[in-house]
Amino acid sequence: MRTITKTLVSVIAAASLLVLAACSSETSTDSGGGSSGQHTGGTLHLTAQSAGGTLDPQVNYTLQYWQLYQGAYDGLLTYARVGGKKSEDIVPDLATAMPKVSTNGKTYTFQLRKGIEFSNGKTVTTDDVVASFRRLFKVSSPNAGSWYNVIVGADACLKTPASCTLNGGVVADASTNTITFNLTQADPEFEAQLAMPFASVLPADTKAKDEGTTPIPTTGPYYFASYSPNKALVMKRNTHFKSWSAEAAPVGYPDEIDETFGLTAEAEVTAIENGQADWMYDTPPSDRLSEISSKYASQTHVTPLTALWYLGLNTNIAPFNNEKARQAINWAIDRSAVVKLYGGTSLASPACTILPPDFPGHADFCDYTKNGGNTWTAADVDKAKQLIQQSGTAGQSVGVVVQNDSVNKGIGLYLVSLLNQLGYKATLKALSNNIQYNYIQNTGNHVQMSLTQWYQDYPAASDFLRVLLSCASFHPNSDSSINIAGYCNTGLDAQMAKADDEGLTDPTAANAAWGEIDKAYMSESPLVPLFNPKLIDFTSNRVSNYQFSDQYYMLVDQLWLK
Amino acid sequence: MLFVAKRLGSALLVMFAISIVVFLIFFATPGVDPAARLAGRGASPEVLSQVRHAFGFDQPLPVRYVLMMDHLFVTRDLTSYVNIGDKVVPQIMQAAPVTLSLVLGAAVIWIVLGLGGGILATRFRGSVVDPIIMVIGIAAVSLPAYWVGEVVNLITQDRLHDSVFSWVPPLGYVPFAQNPGQWALHLLFPWLTLALLYGGIYARVLRAELVTAMGEDYVRTGRAKGLSERRILWRHALRGSLSPVVSLFGLDLGSLIGGAALLTEVVFGLPGIGKLTWDSLQNLDLPVIMACVLYAAFFVVAANAIVDLLYAVIDPRVRRA
Repeated sequence: MRTITKTLVSVIAAASLLVLAACSSETSTDSGGGSSGQHTGGTLHLTAQSAGGTLDPQVNYTLQYWQLYQGAYDGLLTYARVGGKKSEDIVPDLATAMPKVSTNGKTYTFQLRKGIEFSNGKTVTTDDVVASFRRLFKVSSPNAGSWYNVIVGADACLKTPASCTLNGGVVADASTNTITFNLTQADPEFEAQLAMPFASVLPADTKAKDEGTTPIPTTGPYYFASYSPNKALVMKRNTHFKSWSAEAAPVGYPDEIDETFGLTAEAEVTAIENGQADWMYDTPPSDRLSEISSKYASQTHVTPLTALWYLGLNTNIAPFNNEKARQAINWAIDRSAVVKLYGGTSLASPACTILPPDFPGHADFCDYTKNGGNTWTAADVDKAKQLIQQSGTAGQSVGVVVQNDSVNKGIGLYLVSLLNQLGYKATLKALSNNIQYNYIQNTGNHVQMSLTQWYQDYPAASDFLRVLLSCASFHPNSDSSINIAGYCNTGLDAQMAKADDEGLTDPTAANAAWGEIDKAYMSESPLVPLFNPKLIDFTSNRVSNYQFSDQYYMLVDQLWLK
Repeated sequence: MLFVAKRLGSALLVMFAISIVVFLIFFATPGVDPAARLAGRGASPEVLSQVRHAFGFDQPLPVRYVLMMDHLFVTRDLTSYVNIGDKVVPQIMQAAPVTLSLVLGAAVIWIVLGLGGGILATRFRGSVVDPIIMVIGIAAVSLPAYWVGEVVNLITQDRLHDSVFSWVPPLGYVPFAQNPGQWALHLLFPWLTLALLYGGIYARVLRAELVTAMGEDYVRTGRAKGLSERRILWRHALRGSLSPVVSLFGLDLGSLIGGAALLTEVVFGLPGIGKLTWDSLQNLDLPVIMACVLYAAFFVVAANAIVDLLYAVIDPRVRRA
C-alpha cells in the first residue's frame, strides 16, 4: 500500500498543527452498529487527485482502491470490516467458518457459504474459488510469486501462467461445497494473505487478463457501475447482496458512492468545505491544515498508522558497508527535528524500531537514544562522531536520494547538513516522486542513502522485517528490489524462518521472537527508523459515523449521510 | 502546391523526430523500468519477467517503438501503462472538446481585450489612458496563469463563496451538449484567467505596431490629404498592423489547443489535453505522454504551416524563399 505515500507529501506547517493537536479526534466512532434503514440512502461523493490504476482486484495494489473493495469484493476470509482494534482480526467471509488446518499446517479446508450471488446474478460456487486462484497467477498478480507461491502447483503457474491449473494445490469438492488448499510448506501468514483483495473470489468466466477499466462482478453490498480514470468511479448498490455476516459483509449505508478524479488537493479541501464533496483521498495540503483543524475540527479525524518512514543505508558500498558508520547515523539523527519537518507531533511520532508501536511483534526498545531508555529522547552526535572516527569513513562523499516534494526535500536538506557536520561530504539528489522509489531499489544506481516509507499490507511482523530486509527481497540490478539496504544476513533469515514456524503453534512466543529479530537488525543498522506517521481524514459536514479500520482505513460504506 | 507538400513533409518529419526523442528519453531514465512499476511493489523476479513479456518490454527498442506507433495510429488500441485497459485515443478524443471549449472561448475574450486595449492606448497616446492600459497589460502578462487561477478559486470557491460568488459552480467541466448554460458558467473563470495573459500580450504588441504605423509615410500622406485621425487609425494603420497579430494568434491558438493551457486546466480541474498531459507526466505513463506530445506537436506544426501558407498568400516573396 505504498502508493498512499504519494499523497502524504505536503504536510508541513508546524504552526497549524498546534491547533490540530487540540482537535485530534481519536478515530471517534459516532455510534456503533446501527440497524440499516434509518441512515440508509444518498450519494457519497469522494474525490481524489487521480485514479488508482486498474480496477482489477487481483492486480491493483493501491490503498485507494483497496479501501473501496471493502464494499465490493469478498474472499474466503477478510479482515473484520469494523472500526478500532477489532479490524485487525481475520474473520470468515465467503467461508462459513475459519478453515480447518491440518496439524502439519500444510492443508487448509474451507466450507463455502451457500446462496451467495455475484452482482450479475450468478451463484458463487467452488469452481469460482478455484478459477480465481488460477487467475491470480494468469494475470501476474503483484504478490503471486511472493505470497501465493506456497500453494502446491504455484511454481508451474509462475513459469507458464497461461496453463496454470494449481492441480493438487486448490481442490474443490462441489458435493460437499468445500475447498482445500495444499501448501508446499506451513505458512503462518497464509490466512492473512487469503484475506487480501488479491484473493477476492471472482466469477469463473472472468477473462484471464488484467481487466483494467472493465468492472468485474462483485459479491459485496456494491458493484462498480462505471470507471473512467479521467473522470470518475461509480459504485452502486448490488441488489443481489444480502448480508451474511455483520463483521465480514456489513450492509452499506449510502445508495451510491462516487469517486471523482481531477481536482488538486487544494481544490478538494475547498470542495469539502463547500459541501460539494464528502471526503478526499489525498492528504490536505499543509497550508490548509490550520483552517480545517480550527474551523472544521469536528470534521477532521487524525489516526496513527502502522507505517514507517526510514532511511535505507546501502550496505554494499562505502561508507555504509561499514557497520559503525551505519550505527553512527542512527545515533546522530535528531528524530524530533525530522518529525517537525514532517508536520509536528500531531502528524508523526519518533521511531526507534522497525516494527511500529501496536504492531504484532513490536518490542519497546530504543538502542540509539542519548541516556538510554525505551523511547527516543535525544540524538548523540558525539557518539556518532566517535563511531565514524573508528570506522575510518570520515571525509567520504555520501549522496542522499529523496523525493522532490517540499517535505521530503526538507528532510533531505537536514540530512545533508547533519552528514556534513559528521565529517562526510554530502550531496542531495531530489528525484521526481514517481521515479525515486524504483530508482533507490536498483543497485545499478549506486544510491548510498535514501529516504523512503513502508506501509503495512497486513498486521504481521514479517510484512516489515522479511519484506524489507530478508536476502530473498534483494535483487541486484533490478528496479524491483524492495530490500533497499541490499542487506542480507543468513543468520537472521534463519531466525525469521524459525519465528514463522513458531507462529503456527504459539503466536505469542513468535511475536516475542520477532521483537528480538527487530532488535538484532537494529544493532546491525541497515536502516534508520525516523518516525511513524498519522493520517488525516477530512470529511464534509453531512457525513457522520466515521469509523477507522487499522487495515483499510476509513470505512467508506459505513458513513451516514444527512 | 509544391510548397504545401514540402510543409506537410517537414511536419511529418518533426513529429517523427519528437516521438523518437520522447521514446528514448523515457527508456533512458533510470528508475523508470515500466515493468517494475506495472508489476507492483515487491514483485518476485518471475512475476516481473511475466509482466515484462506480457507488455513486450523484453523486445529490442526499435521493435517496441514500431509496435507502439502501430497501436497508436493503425489499430488505435494503445492503452495506458497506469490505468490498464484505458485506451489512449478515446482519452484524447474526450479531452479535446474540453480544451477547445476553453481555448476558443478565451480567444474571443483576449482578442476583444487585446485589440481594444491596443487601439485605445494608441488613440489616447500622450494622455494618461495609454500608460494605464500598458501597465495593466504588463501586469497581466507577468502574472502566471496558475497563480491567477488559484487566487480566483480562493475568492470564488472559498472566501466569498457563501456571499457574492454563491452562483459559481464547483470546479470541473460540463459538456456543451449536456447543458450549454452550465458549460459557459463552468468555463467563465477559466476563460477570463487564460484570456488575461494573452489579452495583455496582444494589447502591447498591437500598440507597438500601431505606433510604428502611425509614423509611416502613408499615414503622413493621409493626414496631408485631410483624413481624420480616427479614419487613419481604423482604416489605414490598423489594417497594416494586424498581420503580425494574426500570425501570433495562429501560433498561440495552435499551441494552446495542443495542450499549452495545461496550468489553467489543472487549476480549474478541467479534464482537457493539458490536464491529460500533466497527469501522464505525473504517472510516467508513456503511451499517454506519447499521444499527448504528438497531438500537441501536430497542432503546433499545423498552426505554423497555416501561418506560413497565409504569409505566402499575402506575400509572394515568401513562396520564392
